[in-house]
Amino acid sequence: MDWSSWWATYSTLVLSIGVYGLMALSISLTLSCGLLSLANAAFMGIGAYVSAVSTLQYGLSFPSALLLGILAPSSVALLIGVPVLRLSGVYLAMATLGFGEVVRVVALNLDITGGPLGLNGIPLLTEWWHVLLSVVVVLLLLQALRHSRIGRAFEAIREDETAARLMGIATHRIKLLAFVLGAAIAGLAGGLNAHYTFTLSPGNFGFENAVDILTMAILGGIQGLLGPLLGGAIITLLPELLRGLQEFRMAANGVILIAVVLFLPHGIWDPRRLARWLKKRSKHADA
Amino acid sequence: MLTLERISRHFGGVTALEQVSLTVPSGQVFGLIGPNGAGKTTVFNLITGLFPPSSGEMHFQGQSLLGLPPYRIATRGIARTFQNIRLFSEMSLIDNVIVGMHAHLDYPIWDAVLRTPRFRRLERHARAEAHQLLHRVGLGDLSQELAGNLSYGNQRKLEIARALATQPRLLLLDEPVAGMNATEKNAVMALIESLRQDHLTVFMIEHDMRFVMGLCDTVAVLNFGRIIAEGPPSAIQSNPAVIEAYLGQEDSAS
Repeated sequence: MDWSSWWATYSTLVLSIGVYGLMALSISLTLSCGLLSLANAAFMGIGAYVSAVSTLQYGLSFPSALLLGILAPSSVALLIGVPVLRLSGVYLAMATLGFGEVVRVVALNLDITGGPLGLNGIPLLTEWWHVLLSVVVVLLLLQALRHSRIGRAFEAIREDETAARLMGIATHRIKLLAFVLGAAIAGLAGGLNAHYTFTLSPGNFGFENAVDILTMAILGGIQGLLGPLLGGAIITLLPELLRGLQEFRMAANGVILIAVVLFLPHGIWDPRRLARWLKKRSKHADA
Repeated sequence: MLTLERISRHFGGVTALEQVSLTVPSGQVFGLIGPNGAGKTTVFNLITGLFPPSSGEMHFQGQSLLGLPPYRIATRGIARTFQNIRLFSEMSLIDNVIVGMHAHLDYPIWDAVLRTPRFRRLERHARAEAHQLLHRVGLGDLSQELAGNLSYGNQRKLEIARALATQPRLLLLDEPVAGMNATEKNAVMALIESLRQDHLTVFMIEHDMRFVMGLCDTVAVLNFGRIIAEGPPSAIQSNPAVIEAYLGQEDSAS
């Protein structure tokens, strides 16, 4: 198989690995400050619809469509974040899932989103390097945040929110920042996604997708930034790799996930475990 | 520096504090003692804004503390430690201390994203300062260790370093030497003495009487949510109401 026909067959899969890597990074951002928010699939949906409508119906250029696809979910996140982030734990998870349903039902009933049929004939504008560049930029951004006062505040809030507040951290603002930034990344992923899949329908961004995205981050591990990317790639590839198992495919998928969570509680990519392991190895080598 | 006027706090039908009035003078080491369950930690929780008093007034440096969220009270210059240690246990010692500097490290977010010279200068400065604070509490050699791996006594010292990182004018210590051995206690005693030299006001809750009597300029005694005595340590030690609160009346003491 030459390269162009390989690309024709697998381009969607390759681009999806990048896009879902972005989604896993977006949810890891809220997870890293202790927020179990499941709104990311809905933010991705808003980004996808807004940018697809911009190019398809208003003929905007791809960059401005992507920009709108980033701004729209971030503004929504800013609005709902203020009341919703007063909740924590499972209550936050339920509220954000509810928000996801609202977004799905709105997309189902609006004319501009094509109702239940969704949008068809979205121009195929996403190139491989758009996705790669987005992943690199988001990684650099998150890496810079991690090693700043913002990243330390995220971690402090996750470990002990009360102690963080009493150390002078305006915890509600920091949490809102994580929520809005997560929505922006999800919106970018949605905009990129819409412009290589050709179609969009409200079902693409529902409950199942929300849980998948969470699974990617947990599976890959949120201790480092490589974890979510790895998790996104695995969850995207697994159904394809297990194609040989046919109808048992989804069951095998589940078994693999359970095994990882049981045996690697911090996810696959856990820098701290890796450091311990390396230390042990070097000790053995010395002896 | 800090005044509480007729502060009461009820939890449901339970009265935790009843008409508590206290004045912590600037530059002093002020002690609050009392039997378990007397409401001492509740006093700290009210001062730091974790919950509001049911009634009464609180002022810090002449300004009311009522209605301020905890992070604002912290930035006004009140820092605290916790009776049941609340460190960020999966972070290194140095990072725990730098979290305490959050409010003073106020470069905007884009400085961090673009790694501007200002960002790097402020971060480097914070790190150096955090090292100094760790040395000051005697944990200088452990800066890269995880807080959760420290011994109980060292965790208490790290809490003090983290609280000092917020650049407080008033430091609230909730049982700073609980669970420490004699050597560690002496080290903390010397540390508090040096804080006094630096004109920091210290307000502490402590059960260790040698510690309280050795350090405090003024001691107040809380029993069943009420202040039953206040004065210099020598007067408190011989106060009959205090002795009764601690030991019970003669017929119930045996």
